[in-house]
Amino acid sequence: MAVVRLANIFKRYPGAAAASVDDVSFTVADGEFMVLLGPSGCGKSTTLRMIAGLESITGGEMSIDGRVVNEVPAMDRDISMVFQSYALYPHMTVEDNLAFGLKRRKVDAAQIAQRVAAAASILGLGELLKRKPFALSGGQRQRVALGRAIVREPKVFLFDEPLSNLDAALRVNTRNELVRLHHRLGATMIYVTHDQVEAMTMGQRICVMNQGKVAQIGAPLDVYRQPADAFVARFLGNPPMNLMKAAVVDQGGAICAQVGSALLPLGRWSAGELAPSQGQVLVGIRPEELGLVDAAAAAPNTLRGVVSAIEPLGAETLIVVDLESGAGEVTARVHRDVRLALGEPAALGFAASALYLFDGRTEKAVLASGT
Amino acid sequence: MMTKSPSHDLRHGGLMAIIVLYTLYSALPFVWVGTMSVRTTGEISASHFAWPEVWHWEKFRVAWVDSHFANYFWNSTLVVGSAVAIVTLLGAAAAHCLARYNFRGNRLVYMILFSSIIFPPQIILISLFQVLVEYNLYNSLIGLTLVYVGLQLPLTVYLLEGFFARIPQDLFDAAKIDGYSDFAIFFRIVLPVGMPAIATTVILNFIQLWNEFLFAVVLVNDEKSRTLPIGIRHFMGDYFQDIGMIATGMMIAVIPVVVVYAFFSEKLIQGMTAGAVK
Repeated sequence: MAVVRLANIFKRYPGAAAASVDDVSFTVADGEFMVLLGPSGCGKSTTLRMIAGLESITGGEMSIDGRVVNEVPAMDRDISMVFQSYALYPHMTVEDNLAFGLKRRKVDAAQIAQRVAAAASILGLGELLKRKPFALSGGQRQRVALGRAIVREPKVFLFDEPLSNLDAALRVNTRNELVRLHHRLGATMIYVTHDQVEAMTMGQRICVMNQGKVAQIGAPLDVYRQPADAFVARFLGNPPMNLMKAAVVDQGGAICAQVGSALLPLGRWSAGELAPSQGQVLVGIRPEELGLVDAAAAAPNTLRGVVSAIEPLGAETLIVVDLESGAGEVTARVHRDVRLALGEPAALGFAASALYLFDGRTEKAVLASGT
Repeated sequence: MMTKSPSHDLRHGGLMAIIVLYTLYSALPFVWVGTMSVRTTGEISASHFAWPEVWHWEKFRVAWVDSHFANYFWNSTLVVGSAVAIVTLLGAAAAHCLARYNFRGNRLVYMILFSSIIFPPQIILISLFQVLVEYNLYNSLIGLTLVYVGLQLPLTVYLLEGFFARIPQDLFDAAKIDGYSDFAIFFRIVLPVGMPAIATTVILNFIQLWNEFLFAVVLVNDEKSRTLPIGIRHFMGDYFQDIGMIATGMMIAVIPVVVVYAFFSEKLIQGMTAGAVK
């Protein structure tokens, strides 16, 4: 097991205008399950491939277990990687696929057989050892790819979107299997995904990346509850957080954010905390924090508008409300029994503590001293 | 139980008729040469298409021993076998490099190779003759082998490059992490995974070179170095053509082609159905 440390890592491809990975620093603790999360092209896979030794590092320092590995070839880093495409050798049986890396490392035949049998037993591959990859289902191939990583008993496991090619049901199962495997092996694992559900459910910590940079690192719920900027707020959560442009106004001594004609109380933030944003902010609220209230009531924490879309999901219903005065639209997650019609007026209430605030220009979170 | 509709039977019957016609069209000339190979030239002249009344199997012995076909056959096997082996190995290595590595001049090399496919090889025949004479390779099997390698290499690289480029990069990355060098990856991953394409080029090159006449007749004059097509040519005189022996020689020449095709096409089909490259 090992600690993986990235210090100010840069990656710029020849001829590229911008760096693909830009000053990325983080440390993955021994035995930790770290998830690199971000949209396509954010640099998460490139970062993983640099850890694996499959991409050169333009700048910065990378170490595994205290040993700087910038110039160390992939085979000498003692890592295993599971690829999105599984990358099983098509001309070899499952058994040969599992043993291929061990043979190169001159592990003796008896031990290879024992390790292959152990991995096959953990992953339920016993019956499949003599088959070739083309005779396996997607889920079975995925397990073989995992097995190939396990038999090596590496210091670090790397996963590059390994569940992307599985169907939804199998993905949930395999996700749980992976978490169990991590508990069982206690190994350091770094997992790349663009799927926030995978990140939230599997990672002990997640590192959200955007445009080659680290946007935020933290425990999944911390990142969800305290996003560092509007990008993270939008990226985590399905549907994403509602973000509305607002002006900070003083309403008879009470500081409020004006969204169209609605005034949202910003009592949790002091004047000093609001000052850097110079009156232009983004107000955020999660869909599950919004609830339908009586449209006739004149409560201050209310967003009013007309229903523009309804999405019944079975367990719950999503409604999209076009706000008054062209202030944009918000999505609310409401009870499945709520009956509304398109074009019907709706009022959405929320607790003042449910509001998030981001600087209107930098989109960085404006934190309240009370939170 | 469902009964098949008349239109289905009609379609099925029509398709079978086409297949039968095509098979006859392809096979009958072969059968004709086969029958001529066991008939004497006199019998053939008397009746071109008749079925053999006496099967002259001794013609094969005459061709093999008296007409030195054993020697020609060995020469052809040596030249074509070596040339195909070298072309396959060199071509696969070059194709792998062109498909996998980004080096300066990659596309230039590719374009030069590609352009050499476009030009008819006959235009280099005279200069090639001169070069071989210059290097004492005229009339030698080594010289002919080298020429064959040069002739078939561009097309081989072109065909294999297209296939190798479609092998997923992840396979190479996985092998690197498993600890294999670039050289080992070529032999242990690229060649086995690329077997369907390699089998195709082996069949193409073998058939092409086994039947090659023009370069062999110009670059090899010595009787001991003749290949099969040139050997058959020597049954054709200025005033008399020994059609019967030509047919016998052709049957001897065609057997290895059928064997190679049967063996490698099986490999080819296995490779295709195995989904070697997803």
